[in-house]
Amino acid sequence: MTSEAPRLTVVTGVDTNASRWTRRALSLLAHAALIGASILMLYPLLWMLSASFRPENEIFTATSLWPSSWSFDSYVRGWSGLRTSFGTFFLNSFILAILAIIGNLMTCSLAAFAFARLDFWGKPFWFAMMLGTLMLPYQVTLIPQYVLFHNLGWVNTFLPLVVPKFLAADSFFIFLMVQFFRGIPKELDEAAQMDGCSPWRIYWKVLLPLSTPVLATAGVFTFIWTWDDFFGPLIYLSDIRTYTVMLGLRTFVDSSAQSDWGGLFAMSILSLLPIFVFFLFFQRLLIEGIATTGMKR
Amino acid sequence: MTARSSVASSGTPLERAASPSVWSRLWNRNAGGYLFLLPWFIGFFGLTLGPIISSLYLSFTNFDLLTPPDWVGPANYVRIFTADPKFVQSMKVTFLFVLFSVPLKLAFAMAVALLLNRGMRGLPLYRAVFYLPSLLGASVAIAVLWRQLFAGSGIVNQFLANFGIEGPSWISNPRYSLWTLIVLAVWQFGSPMIIFLAGLRQIPQDVYEAASLEGANKWRIFWKITLPLLTPVVFFNAIIQTIEGFKSFTPAFIISGGTGNPINSTLFYTLYLYQEAFSFFRMGYASALAWVLLAVVALFTGFSFLTSKYWVHYDE
Amino acid sequence: MTHLDRRQFLLGTTALFAVGAIGINPVMSAETRMRLIFWGGQARADRTYGVTDLYTKANPGVTFDGEFMAFQDYWPKLATQTAGGNSPDVIQMDYRYIVEYANRNAIAPLDEFVGKHLMLDDFDADQLDGGKVGGKLYGISLGANSVAMIVNKAAFEEAGVPVPDANTSYEDLPKLAEAWKAGNKRAGMALWQDGSGTEPGLENWLRQRGKALYTAEGKAGFEAQDITDWFQMWNDLRDAGVTVSPDDQALDATDAIENTMVTLGKAAVTYANSNQLIAFQAVNKDPLTMTNYPRAKAGSMGGHYRKPSMFFSLGASSTQKEEGAKFINFFITDPEGAKILGVERGIPCKSSTRDAIASTLDAQSQIALNFVSNLGDLLGKLPPSPPANAGEVSVAFKTKSQEVAFGQQSPADAGPAFYQQAVEILARAKK
Repeated sequence: MTSEAPRLTVVTGVDTNASRWTRRALSLLAHAALIGASILMLYPLLWMLSASFRPENEIFTATSLWPSSWSFDSYVRGWSGLRTSFGTFFLNSFILAILAIIGNLMTCSLAAFAFARLDFWGKPFWFAMMLGTLMLPYQVTLIPQYVLFHNLGWVNTFLPLVVPKFLAADSFFIFLMVQFFRGIPKELDEAAQMDGCSPWRIYWKVLLPLSTPVLATAGVFTFIWTWDDFFGPLIYLSDIRTYTVMLGLRTFVDSSAQSDWGGLFAMSILSLLPIFVFFLFFQRLLIEGIATTGMKR
Repeated sequence: MTARSSVASSGTPLERAASPSVWSRLWNRNAGGYLFLLPWFIGFFGLTLGPIISSLYLSFTNFDLLTPPDWVGPANYVRIFTADPKFVQSMKVTFLFVLFSVPLKLAFAMAVALLLNRGMRGLPLYRAVFYLPSLLGASVAIAVLWRQLFAGSGIVNQFLANFGIEGPSWISNPRYSLWTLIVLAVWQFGSPMIIFLAGLRQIPQDVYEAASLEGANKWRIFWKITLPLLTPVVFFNAIIQTIEGFKSFTPAFIISGGTGNPINSTLFYTLYLYQEAFSFFRMGYASALAWVLLAVVALFTGFSFLTSKYWVHYDE
Repeated sequence: MTHLDRRQFLLGTTALFAVGAIGINPVMSAETRMRLIFWGGQARADRTYGVTDLYTKANPGVTFDGEFMAFQDYWPKLATQTAGGNSPDVIQMDYRYIVEYANRNAIAPLDEFVGKHLMLDDFDADQLDGGKVGGKLYGISLGANSVAMIVNKAAFEEAGVPVPDANTSYEDLPKLAEAWKAGNKRAGMALWQDGSGTEPGLENWLRQRGKALYTAEGKAGFEAQDITDWFQMWNDLRDAGVTVSPDDQALDATDAIENTMVTLGKAAVTYANSNQLIAFQAVNKDPLTMTNYPRAKAGSMGGHYRKPSMFFSLGASSTQKEEGAKFINFFITDPEGAKILGVERGIPCKSSTRDAIASTLDAQSQIALNFVSNLGDLLGKLPPSPPANAGEVSVAFKTKSQEVAFGQQSPADAGPAFYQQAVEILARAKK
């Protein structure tokens, strides 16, 4: 954090001869463009926000963002409307997301280290297998997997959603970390090896500390994707007290019968808050990468 | 913290093993890799491989979800390649989708990542805002919203009307509906953007300092330094987005209500597969479709890996 | 053909690799726990759980683990649970899926419980038949409904045009549209939905011609010419400005209430079901009402039928079928329960239950009840239950209708083409 200012000068230092004014004008222009684009990005949120305050019978026809009348009802109704409070769903989602982050960061980085840095027999084969598991649509492995988890007695518990994360089942993150680990200069671990470091120490003392950006990225994605995951919880969780936020949200609406659209949009807004805050907070780690550790090649 | 100590102890035998026999040489050479991969191996053999083999077996059966499967040999595959117009249509839709959404998404992600890398006030907030559409994921709200935007009386057309253009109902016209899904995919460029940002962060500052001392301009620095150093990440994003693009399911599912209409113009491959499996009770056939997709994606990925030698620069 | 038990196989391959793990099972107590699964929104869940609570009160020791979700999510989940050998005890079934599930023995026949636990003496005969597949009873209808047009009453009144009624026929529509266009005050609102892709609309129209969607043998009950005529009629209506544009109509991909032409304000009349009026009203500002599907031409009749809107069935692998049957009986019989349920799932099928609730209904439920009870000469016999793969035919029909509406195929070509498709799809059903 403290290095923000000096880094600024490094980059902008490139055009030292440009006048102050041009730079200021350029920055103003950039901000204008970014704010314009931000509105495009924010529009859905604004729309959802307005839908959550709107009378239900104008959600699908209204063209203006401004509701004809404001009401907080949807939030009150939505929070406790499903017989189980949304607080429970939030808690469940948090538990799942935190466990998933721990699992993914631990085990995927181990596997990625092996693929990126160690030599062993059959490495290309296992790497291809690892990537291959990404390519089969989940729809066709769903039922065999359900049978497996059912026979293990795991259905209607969090285990089918958590245990795979502790067994590096998410190839996306392994591959991601492999790519970043390979970007870290190899002289570093060669030097450590010379000093008699074991692979474990190289992994733990050399590579991981230099990998904050990718670990933060993996953490952020794991959190968000676990939070947003719908199909896994749908299939494996039956008791409404174990529902996640996403599952709760889907429960508001059935298109063939009476639905609670206001509740859906109100709770959607609330469900975005944690991931948004989490993202804002976590991206600090993303910024404190290699560049700020002062490492020299 | 407990995790640290328990995994750490599994590393210590490595340090002790040092006798010169053949076996211990083999052990020395391989044990490290396999020990690090141990959790993955347990997961792969324990949880992942079984269902994958099951689905391969089922692709040679007429499994209908509710009754035991009968072996039908390659009949499913024969039908896919000889008598299934919907297979052809869904492949076409999917290829078009991948062809346009992946490069556009990556270009956006890269451009915005460069812009939001550093050197301006309020960047954390901008980053979060630009990531926001990706947070919405597959929310039901997206379906309603996209209709508000791209219907005949939607906001896009209201905007176009200012210029005297009378737009069609983009989302429900078979000629344009796929494009609204491509726009949706590109709009959710947040994930590759974050990965690019993380990649930019990993480029050591001293490289830039050296370059700027030599008086290189920004454009040159980008082409000669940033981009080459970023290629592992570009490669990753390209591979992942392509795989995900081929498997893309949710946008079409929520927006067309699972139908792939109008006139199958948004019948993504996995959507067709899903219909076959769960709406028409043909899981055997759907499994065959899945393995055909796997072959196609593997071909693309394999080819990318082959070419990567020539343009991806690892620091090793 | 070699034959292998599906579960044995899946078990084999998966158990082979399975890590020994400690299963965490919910703590089992002495009481009977029934698993109940249904699709629907919050409103339906509240009503349903109201009745399970009553049942628990009347039968201490029996509790319910209920699950409910949207229709779209319901079928993959139910199929997965069934395939995994973990099907719930009481399962809500759809008129179309009941055939698929019964043919595959995924739900249990109920005949052995009739008269013992299921008291069906004053149960409507047509509704009972609707739950039969191959002569055996697989589902108890939870309510009768009928197809119905949802009408934006306010828009009609503003335009000074009479609301369509039991005598309105497709032949009247062009004239009605003229009057509509002259008086209409709503920008962008057409008179009628483009119903060319609405399968229930086609079925209703075919029945008035003395044809059907499907014969009792599970074959197509129509000919290529019927389809050509149907598409031609809609092309003419579209050209006469009766309907919304094909673009707009395609917004309504799945007949989801929130995307229908009435809800979107694009048309004043839309195709729906009689039990949906309340749900429609919830997302519409204008007061709505309900009427029948149009007659094919003046005087033609018998298009409508009272259709079981949904059933309760018992999971084939359930170990508590007897308790399940008792619960289903309570669900359709108990007067207090019936008051809670109202007509949300359709009109109750037992006359005693109907009498019990008649006085407690709100205005819109009353409209639905009256509509279904007073169809008159519009009412025909219940058609045979649809064959396997009927769902796929329905999807193909929607797509074909769009090809015609968007001008990619002429009605003369589309009729034979669709007929051919339907025959092939039906022939492909697993014997």
